[in-house]
Amino acid sequence: MKEVMLDCYGEACPIPLVKAQNSIKELEVGDMLIVQIDHSCAMKNVPEWARKEGYNVEVEEVDDGEWEVIIEKTK
Amino acid sequence: MENKKTKFFDRMKSNEYYIKWLKNPFTYVTAAVLLSLFQIVTLAVSKNPWGVSGAFAVWGAWIFEAVGGSVDKWYYFASPGAQATLNGGLLNHPDSWRNFGIIAGALAATLLASGFKLKKIKSFKQVAAAVIGGLMMGYGARLAFGCNIGALYGGIASLSLSGWVFAVGMFLGAIVGSKLLVKFFM
Repeated sequence: MKEVMLDCYGEACPIPLVKAQNSIKELEVGDMLIVQIDHSCAMKNVPEWARKEGYNVEVEEVDDGEWEVIIEKTK
Repeated sequence: MENKKTKFFDRMKSNEYYIKWLKNPFTYVTAAVLLSLFQIVTLAVSKNPWGVSGAFAVWGAWIFEAVGGSVDKWYYFASPGAQATLNGGLLNHPDSWRNFGIIAGALAATLLASGFKLKKIKSFKQVAAAVIGGLMMGYGARLAFGCNIGALYGGIASLSLSGWVFAVGMFLGAIVGSKLLVKFFM
């Protein structure tokens, strides 16, 4: 089980979402993808997509205007 | 005193009404209903449908006039209505004030949710895309006599066919735009 950090600071929608979709394909089941974002609409659409896929998702506010979306690839 | 202050803001952070009303974004449905209500207010008060980008052209004309230019002969500004707007000045221009309100409101919302952040520019590509995209959108919006607000939202809301034509064009443009985005930014 590994953890992959995906730095999307400074990227506007929908780039964080597309990047997250691409990088989760490279991961094994059980791995974690941590998407770092500072664009508030990515805080909505990244978790929304991941939940729809059936992954475990948690959003953490790491600083003012900065979030980490933690996605566990469950399948 | 200092201690008490910190405690107040700490308490507020976990207050359920703060989280519900200021911290979390409204749902799309809530936002859509609010937008609809306020655009009715706009129409009733200013006698014009809601528009955003039309004001940019007026600002441009004012700046051009301030440095000694004249737009009186330009087709876009030649009509009596456009001349009246230009001569009326900033204080009498509802569109300008609504735009200032959008900026002030967006700033207030992000500050109240403590989500304000000055973002780094990551690459020259971002600058180029913003400048080229902005120029194309601004130019296109003036050619179409409106942007996604004035021409699309206002058009459809006033039962005008042009709004639907704009919607088709915008949808096709969005497809091209997304392809370019994936090609240059991924």
